[in-house]
Amino acid sequence: MPVVQVKLPDIGEGIAEGEIVRWLVKEGEAVKRFQPIVEVLTAKATVEIPSPYTGRIHRLLASEGDTVRVGQPIVEIETDTAEPGEPQEPVEKVREQTVEAKTMQEAPARGPTAPPSQGTARVRAPPSVRLLARKLGIDLSKVKGTGPRGVVTKNDVLAYAEAQRSAPQPAMQVAREVGVQEERIPLRGVKKVMAERMVEAKTRIPHAYVVEEVDITELLAVREKLKPLAEEKGVKLTVLPFIMKAVVKAIREYPLMNSSLDEERGEIVVRKTVNLGFAVDTPHGLMVPVIKNADSKGLFQLAREVRELAARAREAKLGLDEVRGSTFSISNYGSIGGVLGIPVINPPEAAILGVGRIRREPRIRDGRIEERSLVYLTLSFDHRILEGGYATRFLVRVKELLENPILLLAGDGELD
Amino acid sequence: MEVLGRRDILNIDRALGLYRVLDEDGNPVAGEPSLPDKLLLDMYTYMVRARILDGWLLKLQRMGRVALHAPNKGQEAAAVGATLALKREDWLFPSYRELGALLVRGMTEEEILDRALTTIDDPLKGSDFAIYGHRKYNIVPAPVPVANQIPHAVGAALAAKIMGDKIVTMTFFGDGSTSRGDFHTGLNFAGVFKAPVVFVNQNNQWAISVPLKRQTASPTIAIKGVAYGVPGIRVDGNDVIAVYTVAMEAVERARSGEGPTLIEAVTYRLGPHTTADDPTRYRVEEEVREWERKEPLRRMRRYLISRGLLTEEEDKALWSEWEKRIEETVVKVLEKPPLPPEVVLEDVYEEPPWNLREQMRELRDSIRLLKELGVELE
Ligand SMILES: Cc1ncc(C[n+]2csc(CCOP(=O)(O)OP(=O)(O)O)c2C)c(N)n1
Ligand SMILES: [Mg+2]
Repeated sequence: MPVVQVKLPDIGEGIAEGEIVRWLVKEGEAVKRFQPIVEVLTAKATVEIPSPYTGRIHRLLASEGDTVRVGQPIVEIETDTAEPGEPQEPVEKVREQTVEAKTMQEAPARGPTAPPSQGTARVRAPPSVRLLARKLGIDLSKVKGTGPRGVVTKNDVLAYAEAQRSAPQPAMQVAREVGVQEERIPLRGVKKVMAERMVEAKTRIPHAYVVEEVDITELLAVREKLKPLAEEKGVKLTVLPFIMKAVVKAIREYPLMNSSLDEERGEIVVRKTVNLGFAVDTPHGLMVPVIKNADSKGLFQLAREVRELAARAREAKLGLDEVRGSTFSISNYGSIGGVLGIPVINPPEAAILGVGRIRREPRIRDGRIEERSLVYLTLSFDHRILEGGYATRFLVRVKELLENPILLLAGDGELD
Repeated sequence: MEVLGRRDILNIDRALGLYRVLDEDGNPVAGEPSLPDKLLLDMYTYMVRARILDGWLLKLQRMGRVALHAPNKGQEAAAVGATLALKREDWLFPSYRELGALLVRGMTEEEILDRALTTIDDPLKGSDFAIYGHRKYNIVPAPVPVANQIPHAVGAALAAKIMGDKIVTMTFFGDGSTSRGDFHTGLNFAGVFKAPVVFVNQNNQWAISVPLKRQTASPTIAIKGVAYGVPGIRVDGNDVIAVYTVAMEAVERARSGEGPTLIEAVTYRLGPHTTADDPTRYRVEEEVREWERKEPLRRMRRYLISRGLLTEEEDKALWSEWEKRIEETVVKVLEKPPLPPEVVLEDVYEEPPWNLREQMRELRDSIRLLKELGVELE
């Protein structure tokens, strides 16, 4: 039974590459022709790619999260029978060809991460010659043109290919020896957005910080009590929704926390509703989905939306309107492990609240040593908009609410 | 105040209302439609075929075998219902989202796939970038710029009128296309010269990411016809019987010399604009879900079942029969060789000038060379 390679097909206008979001099949699994096998995220959309063959998955050649170029092999399938009509190439033949192409090259094959070679743009050559060079894996800028005004001709390319074939390739060996020292990961997609926003935040916004330790022992007890009710409503109750609740309540008393600076007009813009962003660590990078109108939502509703949005973030299925328009953000790195973090503001917001890991430690209460559940909250704020006193009072209020869950949950509709 | 104009023909109520035979759940709104059973079943079958074929084109695009596809899902009724009102000798000037119309005209799934995959049997020999047409069925290939087909349809209708041919032309275009000058030129000209043309606007609420309310300040699209002296009729585009009924009326008006009609078929594109589009970036899920409930196949199936023309089992059998037939066709078409590259230079000049002949030689040389070098051509 022949093993054939499936390449990332040309899936759209001008799409050159895609990111493997999720494999829908495993190695060893049987597949049917036309059955979707992998989800790929391109610059335009997330798409499901169907299998061109019936057979068994032999080997996955790319992992989830990898960026692959159109035409790059992504999976090997052991076919039942060779399906006629598909442009298939048995693996052996493909290998030979690649090796051959490489030996004719000076540098390693143009892999998915290598930057396009410099200077190609300035080479003069007709399209047919460019095609030929590409097929042979030859960098045209290395070929000396003998045509009028230095145009590279077909013969130039062929002569160059011939010379490369007979010459030894020291350059390639050197590249290989040096090449193992580093790996280059292109900054793309979600990561690139993160990089740009962080530069903006850290260069434009004068950050100041304040930290509080919050005793959430009682809150955790309340959560235990609420659990059966939550389950009844199909909600999984974590600590984050309580913190959100405390934040939106405190914002009611400290509205400037929910604002941004219009630098051009020199005005502070106070937002009348609270859209809460919360950071989610996903396989593709940091995403900050937004709970709209969080100030008018009950605890359970917040919990529900946190779960849904986080799941969609991990599957890269968030719509644009689900990551836009936040007015205040929370970063719950504590769920992973940091005791205390110093988050960076999510521009153009005025502040961000960082939540550390819940620790069990002894504290003195009423003259006795007790084991308590504690968490550090860090408030990073824009010192152009907020004074240290104002921001600290806000944080103290958040602490009070969390330490007195009865205050937090008092009021109509808080448990919706 | 004196009121000018032919109020009888330019019935504004019809341009502002919504004509419908079945409600959203397939119940007749004003008595049983009096159409033959076979026609009703045909309408449904054409829609089923279009739906299945649409799914395949999407799949084949994801496999890199079709360059681009504009999904039809949700809009089958408008295409099928309107085209069923045409006669064989009439001409169709489609847009890119009317697989059902092509099928009604007689184009087979195989011919449509030959076109989409540009196989050796592609009726348009690779030209025009993935948009359909076929001389044999009087289907003029849709141009890529939107709305260009509107003046084409008007011109052909006028030509037929001048030559005394009793034919009608019908053209399809989207809501976004009504913002182009070609729409206005076409309607104005057709109104003045009473061209035997039927304008079918598929108002699917979106032009890629631009919603209808950003496209026009008019209350409806049909009302735009009135200003050009062209009756406008607004119809539920997901009600295939309603579309057919108003299209019959429009085609008869055109054939009897009374001039053009603008039909606005109110519908919804359930899928992405094309295979290169991600609609979740600009529209909300609830809107799509709401229209899914109103989609045309569900409605017609419910009606046929309630009228006793179809049972659940027969419906299942109909689907699986066409699913099987179309899959077999797909497999067959996938095996066909592609068009030879030379055809890109054919059909432009009867006698190609020297520079094209030169390019052709160059192309053949390159291909031969690559073959000799053992390099696979994609
Ligand atoms: C003249 C012109 N401008 C822009 C485009 C790009 N384009 C392709 S389809 C489209 C949207 C058309 O919307 P609509 O007429 O509503 O048709 P639909 O796609 O909704 O069926 C646009 C802008 C084009 N093809 N032609
Ligand atoms: Mg539209």
